[in-house]
Amino acid sequence: MHSFISNFKQRLRLPRMFFRKPSREEQIHGGPPLEFERPIPPLQWRGITATTVIVTFVATVAWELYARALGYAPTLNDNDDLWAITRRKVQPESIVIIGDSRGWFDVDLDEFEKGLGKRPIQLAAPGSTTFPVLDDLAKDENFHGTIVCSVVPQLFFAPPGSPPMERAEKNVKRFHNQTPAQRVSEYLGMWLEDHVAYLKPDDLSLQGLLNELPIPNRPGAQVPPTFPPYFQTEDRERRARMWEKCAEPGSELAKRIQQIWIPLFSLPPPPSYIPQDVFMAKMKEGIEKRFADTVAAVEKIRARGGKIVFVRFPHSGGLKEIEDKITPREQTWEPLLQMTHVPGIYYSDFSELSGFNCPEWSHLSAGDSVEFSKRLVPHLRDALKM
Amino acid sequence: MLFNSLTFVVFYVVVVALYWSLRGWELRKNLLVVASYIFYGAWNPPFAALLFSTTAMDFWLGRQIGKAQEGRARKRWLVASVCMNLSMLGFFKYGNFLLQNFQWLVARIGIIYQPPHLDILLPVGISFYTFHSLSYTLDIYRGVLKPTRSLRDFILAVSFFPQLVAGPIVRAGDFLPQLEHPPRLKSNQFLWGLALMTLGLFEKIVLADTLLSGSADRVFGYAGPLVALDSWAGVIAFAGQIFFDFAGYSITAIGAALTLGFHLKDNFRFPYAAIGFSDFWRRWHISLSTFLRDYLYIPLGGSQVAPFRMALNLVLVMFLGGLWHGAAWTFVVWGLLHGSYLVIERVFRIFFEEKQWAATLPVRLIAGFATYAAVCIAWVFFRASDFTIASRMLSGMFGGHPNGDMILTTRELLQIAIVTAGLISIHWAMRADAFETTVMRLPRWAVTAIWSFMACAIILTQGSSNAFIYFQF
Repeated sequence: MHSFISNFKQRLRLPRMFFRKPSREEQIHGGPPLEFERPIPPLQWRGITATTVIVTFVATVAWELYARALGYAPTLNDNDDLWAITRRKVQPESIVIIGDSRGWFDVDLDEFEKGLGKRPIQLAAPGSTTFPVLDDLAKDENFHGTIVCSVVPQLFFAPPGSPPMERAEKNVKRFHNQTPAQRVSEYLGMWLEDHVAYLKPDDLSLQGLLNELPIPNRPGAQVPPTFPPYFQTEDRERRARMWEKCAEPGSELAKRIQQIWIPLFSLPPPPSYIPQDVFMAKMKEGIEKRFADTVAAVEKIRARGGKIVFVRFPHSGGLKEIEDKITPREQTWEPLLQMTHVPGIYYSDFSELSGFNCPEWSHLSAGDSVEFSKRLVPHLRDALKM
Repeated sequence: MLFNSLTFVVFYVVVVALYWSLRGWELRKNLLVVASYIFYGAWNPPFAALLFSTTAMDFWLGRQIGKAQEGRARKRWLVASVCMNLSMLGFFKYGNFLLQNFQWLVARIGIIYQPPHLDILLPVGISFYTFHSLSYTLDIYRGVLKPTRSLRDFILAVSFFPQLVAGPIVRAGDFLPQLEHPPRLKSNQFLWGLALMTLGLFEKIVLADTLLSGSADRVFGYAGPLVALDSWAGVIAFAGQIFFDFAGYSITAIGAALTLGFHLKDNFRFPYAAIGFSDFWRRWHISLSTFLRDYLYIPLGGSQVAPFRMALNLVLVMFLGGLWHGAAWTFVVWGLLHGSYLVIERVFRIFFEEKQWAATLPVRLIAGFATYAAVCIAWVFFRASDFTIASRMLSGMFGGHPNGDMILTTRELLQIAIVTAGLISIHWAMRADAFETTVMRLPRWAVTAIWSFMACAIILTQGSSNAFIYFQF
């Protein structure tokens, strides 16, 4: 046995590389001879494989049980492939919901279908800017349907290159470039997500667990803001519903998310490498351009007979204070309606749409989203002249 | 189809199960051809037709070279093959780049020319399969390979799915002989192949995508000046990311091929333990460096010419190697930097090769560290999308922005430090051995524990099917 291993080692040992001329054989063939065979380490591979499979299986089952014990249940994860598959369902006369997470959480598709006569397609995406999707629909010559567009000004006017803009652009790009392999992977992934609880990238993936490590940062470090943990379920139509654990009164999860919204929605300090006045001028220019681009996109859709309505969904608490301060209604919402001549529904203008409690300040609970959608439908019908 | 996707898992299980359950060798080869074209067509079905046409042309040209008796006729057919392959590559990969540079050039002499932007979609892996196919006609011309009589076998040699889109660049001369006799199903080989696939996916999904890519992307995507620590951390993170990404692909490919009974050569041999740049290129992307060495450097005269000419050859080969990676001047600079490194190393050798102190451990460690640092500096040009970013990064790395921004979290810095320390230690510990030797030395329980750990980490990571960096080449 000893001599066998010695020979084996000798056979595997690489020639010294440094300052060595390649042999004639290597010069011709570029490596070992043509009858090259990869060495296989002489170990008990059957036993090793069997043990590995058992260990991996047991560890996975244990992780799944742990996830379920924490209250997680199987549900779909939102991603660009699911968005692309949903976008593909848009027909020329579809009702489409676009915008940010409020349009995603707060719209109940069943209530909209009952009230508007057609099942809407959910294309609103969390933390994303509306414009890339609006522009994509405007460029779709076949589309002349109805758009219900959620507006959160900070996301709506997010500049090019910002994460909200990139998220929306990624979705649109995936819709146009999705390969057959990506589509199949998404369907397989959905099947897995429908059965496995631990598939929660925000909380239970390696990256999610690393993000939770309590390691203090260097003083002065401009680290990116934290994003909220998992707090919603999603179905195959991309209907999002707030996780009950978050919607419970006094929920710790809701309180934690509230504290995450504050830095996310606060105005970030201007970059150190651009003079402040230049930066502010650029921001102003960007916002004006977004107004102009939105007007152009809306006109294109309307020219084909399409309809659009802007909706401001409920938000509350400290987050409402920040939004009202940074993006006051008279500087964002009102000019948007004036410039585009699009009807708008601002929830607080109507008593029946006000008074809903957002557990984590930004979105409605699953139950409230149904009631809110029911009450919103008549306003939509009025605005869209249906 | 990506190795790190659920589609591939299902595809692979079905193909392997069918492959080993079929009795006839011809049937199995037919199955592999169909599977390889499905694997490739799953990205963009029309490009499978392009792959087929390149392959069929080279098959025919290979026969013509083989049939031609006269040297000039052989050369003509070879030139036809080289032109066909390179023009295909040139059109799809370099079309817009050439037009933009032509526009810039004519503008220097006062001609305003606005070229149309060609809306060309780059076929995945075109640089790899073009070289797979080209190696066939080149080897027939060099007399080291006879033309195959089977178009099917040649199609399989070019399109064999494990190595089709991101290498290793498998030469027809290495693959075609393996198609002559059916491989037998050997359980140890099959299971070792699965272990290699796990290792490759672990490198890609856990190390490259989860632990390193985020930091590298943020540093290279940041529009402002960064302090030295963040700049170096970003570059070192990218150095690790690109290794784990590409070596991970190669190992997965080697493992997948082994489970089907095929043997592909190593593409990486612990490159970050290289001492000197010749050593680095004998360890990094070996299938490309040997391809360039055999089909370009040696025909240009190799090391058998005058020193100045040799230096020029080295720079030219690395220039083309850089351009092979992408249609941008940043890749060219990366290649030229490596060419210059190789020339400087040759000069050093003249003065110090025979000195005894040059072979001592401290000097070798210092040389190894210097090699790694120089390779990292070159990576700046490889990763940066333009020279503004590259120069800002280099300036940051060498203390040009003492008041620059700090954008990496302490956790990210720790991740980069731990992964890089582990990477370099392992490379140095294993630099003189084959990977298989190290595995053989390990006790059985350790192999089981490592394999289980990697499998669990992959499952825990819940990868999001990020594309491999080398796909774009």
